[in-house]
Amino acid sequence: MLNDPAMSVVCDGGPLKAMQSSHSLTAQTTLSAQELSQEIKSFISGVDAVHGRKLSVREHARCAVRLLRSVPACREAVLEHLRGVYDEHVSAFLVNLETEGSSTSGGSSNLEDIIQEVHVVLSEFIRLNPRAWAPLVSTWAVDLLGQLSSKHAGRRVAPHSASLNELLQLWMSCAATRSLMEAYSQCLAAMLAWCPDACVDALLDTSVQHSPHFDWVVAHIGSAFPGTIISRVLACGLKDFCSHGAKDQGLLMMGMDKGNRIPKIGSVVGILGHLAAHHSESIRKELLRMFQESLSPSSPLSPTSSSTSWESSPQLRRSAVPFLLQLAAMSPNLFGAVSAELVEQLRPSILLQLQALLQGLPKEELENMLGLAVHLISQSPTGGARVLKFLADTATPASVIISGPTPSPHEGVREGCDRLLQMLLLHLHKLVFNRSDGAEVSPHSSASSQPQRVIPFLEELRSHVAQLCAETLRLERKRHLWLHQLLCLLAVYGGPSVATETLCQLLTQARNPEELALAWQLHTTLSSCMAGLIPAAVAHSVAQIHTHTLGPRQLKQLLLNLSIAIQSQDEDRKGGGAQSSMAVQVGSAVSGHLHDFCPLLLHSDADVSHATARLLSCSPLPRTSSPAHLLLLSRAAVTHFFMALRKRVEAGNVGRDGGQAGEAVNCSVLILSRFAAYSPLTLKAILQQLAEGALHKGNADLFGGQVADMSGAPVTNPSLSSDRGASLLDINCRFSTSVNFSGSVWSVFHAGVIGKGLKHRTASQHPDPAGVIWNIQTLLEVIVQCCTSSGLNGTPSPSDPDEPLPINAEAAKVIAVTLVESVCPDVANGELSWPPEEHARTTVERDIHIRRCFEAHPVLFPLLQVVAAGRPALCYCSAVLRGLMATLLAHWEASREASSTDSPWHLQASCLLVSCMGEGQLLPPVLANVHEAFPHLNPFEVRLLLLAVWEYVRGNGPLPQKFVFSSEKGMFCRDFSRDGDVARYVAPIHSVLHKNIDRLGHLCWRFQL
Amino acid sequence: MGDIRQSLLPRDVLSAAKELLYHLDIYICNLVQSGRQPPQVDSKTLDLIEEFILHAPKDRNAPARRMSALQELQLLEIMCSCFQEQSRDTVRQLMFSALFGLQGNAADESRMALLGKLVSMAVAMGRVPILECAATWLQRTHRVYCVRLAQVLVDDYCSMVPGSVPTLQNIHSASPRFCCQFITAVTTLYDLTTEELTPPIELLQMIVSWIQEDPRLVLITFLNTPLTGSQPINSLDVTPLGGLVRWCVKAPLAYKTDKKQTPTHERSENVPEVGPLFSTLHLSVLQVLMLLPNILNEKGLFGRMGLLQLDSLAALTSELSRLLDQADKHAHASDAHAAPQLALDRLAQALQVAKANGALLCSRGRNLEAVLFLFRPSRLGKVESKIKTVKMRKMLVKHASKLYPHFCIISVFSRINYFDFHSSNNVLLIHKLLEHCKQLVFLLLLNKSVC
Repeated sequence: MLNDPAMSVVCDGGPLKAMQSSHSLTAQTTLSAQELSQEIKSFISGVDAVHGRKLSVREHARCAVRLLRSVPACREAVLEHLRGVYDEHVSAFLVNLETEGSSTSGGSSNLEDIIQEVHVVLSEFIRLNPRAWAPLVSTWAVDLLGQLSSKHAGRRVAPHSASLNELLQLWMSCAATRSLMEAYSQCLAAMLAWCPDACVDALLDTSVQHSPHFDWVVAHIGSAFPGTIISRVLACGLKDFCSHGAKDQGLLMMGMDKGNRIPKIGSVVGILGHLAAHHSESIRKELLRMFQESLSPSSPLSPTSSSTSWESSPQLRRSAVPFLLQLAAMSPNLFGAVSAELVEQLRPSILLQLQALLQGLPKEELENMLGLAVHLISQSPTGGARVLKFLADTATPASVIISGPTPSPHEGVREGCDRLLQMLLLHLHKLVFNRSDGAEVSPHSSASSQPQRVIPFLEELRSHVAQLCAETLRLERKRHLWLHQLLCLLAVYGGPSVATETLCQLLTQARNPEELALAWQLHTTLSSCMAGLIPAAVAHSVAQIHTHTLGPRQLKQLLLNLSIAIQSQDEDRKGGGAQSSMAVQVGSAVSGHLHDFCPLLLHSDADVSHATARLLSCSPLPRTSSPAHLLLLSRAAVTHFFMALRKRVEAGNVGRDGGQAGEAVNCSVLILSRFAAYSPLTLKAILQQLAEGALHKGNADLFGGQVADMSGAPVTNPSLSSDRGASLLDINCRFSTSVNFSGSVWSVFHAGVIGKGLKHRTASQHPDPAGVIWNIQTLLEVIVQCCTSSGLNGTPSPSDPDEPLPINAEAAKVIAVTLVESVCPDVANGELSWPPEEHARTTVERDIHIRRCFEAHPVLFPLLQVVAAGRPALCYCSAVLRGLMATLLAHWEASREASSTDSPWHLQASCLLVSCMGEGQLLPPVLANVHEAFPHLNPFEVRLLLLAVWEYVRGNGPLPQKFVFSSEKGMFCRDFSRDGDVARYVAPIHSVLHKNIDRLGHLCWRFQL
Repeated sequence: MGDIRQSLLPRDVLSAAKELLYHLDIYICNLVQSGRQPPQVDSKTLDLIEEFILHAPKDRNAPARRMSALQELQLLEIMCSCFQEQSRDTVRQLMFSALFGLQGNAADESRMALLGKLVSMAVAMGRVPILECAATWLQRTHRVYCVRLAQVLVDDYCSMVPGSVPTLQNIHSASPRFCCQFITAVTTLYDLTTEELTPPIELLQMIVSWIQEDPRLVLITFLNTPLTGSQPINSLDVTPLGGLVRWCVKAPLAYKTDKKQTPTHERSENVPEVGPLFSTLHLSVLQVLMLLPNILNEKGLFGRMGLLQLDSLAALTSELSRLLDQADKHAHASDAHAAPQLALDRLAQALQVAKANGALLCSRGRNLEAVLFLFRPSRLGKVESKIKTVKMRKMLVKHASKLYPHFCIISVFSRINYFDFHSSNNVLLIHKLLEHCKQLVFLLLLNKSVC
């Protein structure tokens, strides 16, 4: 290399001095013609012409550089030769990388200095005369870069072409490619001023040629000159697109993407796609700018100084919109970048311009564009909802009533949008149904072999189902038709889940029958291709209820809609409508979820609970159901009943319109009676709970009850009660002194504390007596309805509908047992048969408790009457009756009043008690009639009569087995003739009659045997 | 000759071309020796050349064989030595014209490209025979192609490769004939109409130095060519004089606008002012014109052949009037009037000297009047009325008195027409003066009266 010292000195100094000025360059490179001729010979042959020695790569390259500087005619040959040199360097570089630098960088292969020299020379040339050199060098550099990057793409160290950053890193670390890249950048910077299209064209061409491997160059250049590259690339693409015309457009739209047919647009898309990673903002701006400028009316004196601006050509401007559509169709990235903002841009003025522009296009081209736009929208992964809203807004005919935020667009624009929307729907329709066809054609092949085609537009709308439903339900002119159709498509596309959700949404949001009809329309459409939609929808609603995602209003609406749906069944059954099957489906679906709905009966919102009541009252009951659910249901229903009663009372108090409250009670009654009729279990549960509930502290006041402490426990001191449970020791101490000996002789009657008078009774205000009566009546009505329903034994309904149904014995027994349990907690001495009267003193405390109960709860007597009607159920109340009787006996015995009427409650209680026992056939009619005489007697005589009753009952125990079912009456009866002689017990009665014959004469016939 | 095609086909591109060159050499030698007059290369040979050297696409189906740049360079090198080694001038000329004579077909493009490279390379390597051949080629070829060749050389040496101007400068000594033709082509090419058609400063310097050194250089083609009158149509002028005059006249106006557009050009620091260069050039042109009478007399052509063509002068005046128009528009600077004045000055001088020395033939000035009348009356009047200095009028008078009465008269005519619209008094006066006296005194009076 240093054999020729003079030459090497010249050359080594070259690059350095070249940087200084062109004068130094001229001074040293002037060679004589002879020398030049020698140089050319050496260059061509690769042999030193003087010494006849083979040139090394380095010397050869130096020779080339010298020729480049001195013989202009050689420049192409030199550049071609340098390709080889660069290639060699890249190879060496890669080999070095592959061997991990184990071989020390060989001097022969290290051509970095030569490349540096070449670079210096070239960059100086470009600097001095960009017009001449920049096009030449840029073409050369780009071509060489393309060649190098595709040639070495398969090398082991070369990363895969997809990993752009690694590629970029690798190539930029290589001196040769870096130098080329710099040279190209320099050319580009120089050329941008006067012919930017040319260099971008070259870039595009090369990019097409070496497609994936060349991408790093484009990416690098693009990020170095983002603004210009993007706009230039777009301009080039537009020009190319324009010259290709619309004939290829159709092909592309059909999906036959022939990359080689439209080379430019493909690489435009590729390049922009790369740049989109880092410069999406400017790309978006550029695309939007293109769009806007293509629309703005042409100004002949355009201020843009760019000589190649496409804005000046009307033809290019016209094809800008199709071009943008095409671009978007080819690159989801770009489309995504633009679509969001594009919709914002489409204001009425812009739309008018767009229309004006597009009017000039031929019909088929317009069709193509329309198709393309539809395709794009259907493929748009984001912003679909906005696009849809925009389209629907624009396409909705202007109306006087509905005045949107934007002024109504031009009629032509509206029609265009209308058309677009319809085509979109048609297209989606095709997509959706072809897609499912495809799936059906090959049912045996798995889904992976034929993946279901995704429709991004619908994908995205899946999350907007709720809004869509709301929009649809606004029932605006044509709009709801479109949206409804779209919802259908969406449901079919999304499969059962979306369909279910849509239906649910409609059910939740519909506010009147017209709106609800949309839901049924949807269902009719979908039912053909989807089974079990309604059950799924109901299940989904239930899930929503469970997760509390619905607000009270929605919840109420949903429940009401469901009940309306079910009720339509009844109407249709009469009219034989088409909806009946659906109503049946809804009914059966709801019936399966009754237990899920029943907690809503107790919802804090009155409307919700009322709606639930309506739903439950009209919903059919399930065929089978688990006991747990039934219990839950009945409990909820009973609770709701009491709540409804209370509501009614409150509504009455306030003077509000009690219509809803009354209706709620009716519903509740209906629910209870239906449930009770459903199964023995529910009947029992309901009756038990009703009875318990009626006596419960919380509800007692509804039925005129007083909340009094029933236990014999001492009244808790107010001062003590304030710190209840403060000290265990304290409680234990008190416990020892106040241990409850109830039931024993030693019980202490806590009538009061000595010295403080009688225990103070909390004086409860009696609410409205009329209300109380009404409530009691309602309660009785429920209970009677439950008891008479044919639930238990399947007793046939009586032939005469006017005659009230007999009370079911079993049901009555349930009530009886419940009453006993609530009124008489002490089960000691609980046997049915009565002891001698004297034994009653052993149970004084219990008896007093029982009496107090009756005092506190007026509703007990009516209940007892119900029980009595359901013979022989009253037998089970024996303990209660006995307790009450005992206290009454004690009272009358102790009474020193002149007449029984002086203690009215006891008189009334005695009368009711005896009449009940008579009704319940615990007493023969003769004895049962004694209560008629009570008001006319003095207390002692009342006691005598009651004692006679006691004696009878003691003699003829109140046992259920004494009752026999009489089939003609349809109820149990007792044959008193089997029992002992009644006359024995009637004697005291007759004595009393005799004694008071002046007053009781009219009653004598009642006591004839 | 045509039968060697089959042997050439299988060979690779370069060796086929080499082989063909070899055979061509032999064929032309034989042709010359056979003494047939005129020696004519047959069309088959030309076809072979097009196919194997120029690689013109023969028909659409056949894939075009192309040489790589390196192979092309080798071919050029071989051609260089081939022409260099050929001792006989006739053979060389025939061969050159066989290779590069334009045939008016599709191969002309590649022919021109190859010729450009060959000549450029010959310039670099100082291959005189090729340059001589090229000079002949330039004489015989349509000026459009000549201009293209010149463009290639100028691009190569003046713009592409910095510092290679001296190489081009050497052609003056190597082949004055080529140099002269080159100047003609260059002046035809750069007509100063647009920025791109303005000669690079290096080129200008070079040409000025050539002519300054040896004014006769301009006339070499004229001197060496037997004037048979069989000049091919639309070939270059015999001398570059017309083009040079155009340069000198238009330069003040053309460069003015140029400079205004790019006031801070990168290169303007090191670049000498063009004004002096054109002044020098103008002087040289005038000197050359002064040489003419002797030469023309020697040839016996004085008064029979004009080296300046009237029609080109007409074109020049019309362009000049356009430029003056533009200059009017931009005339705000204080020195704005100097340039139009200089341009008119040079035109007047050149015309006068050419007329006097027989380079411009016009019968009793009538043709010239016609030419100069292209300065529309309003034009000249406008210029003068704008330039309200006594200097201009003095100059006019001076010129009129000393050099060119014709011009003076013309301007008087134009004056008359101009003032026609303004003042009838003046018109009457001028009329009267013009009727009676064509001498200087009256013209002077005329001027004073206008003032």
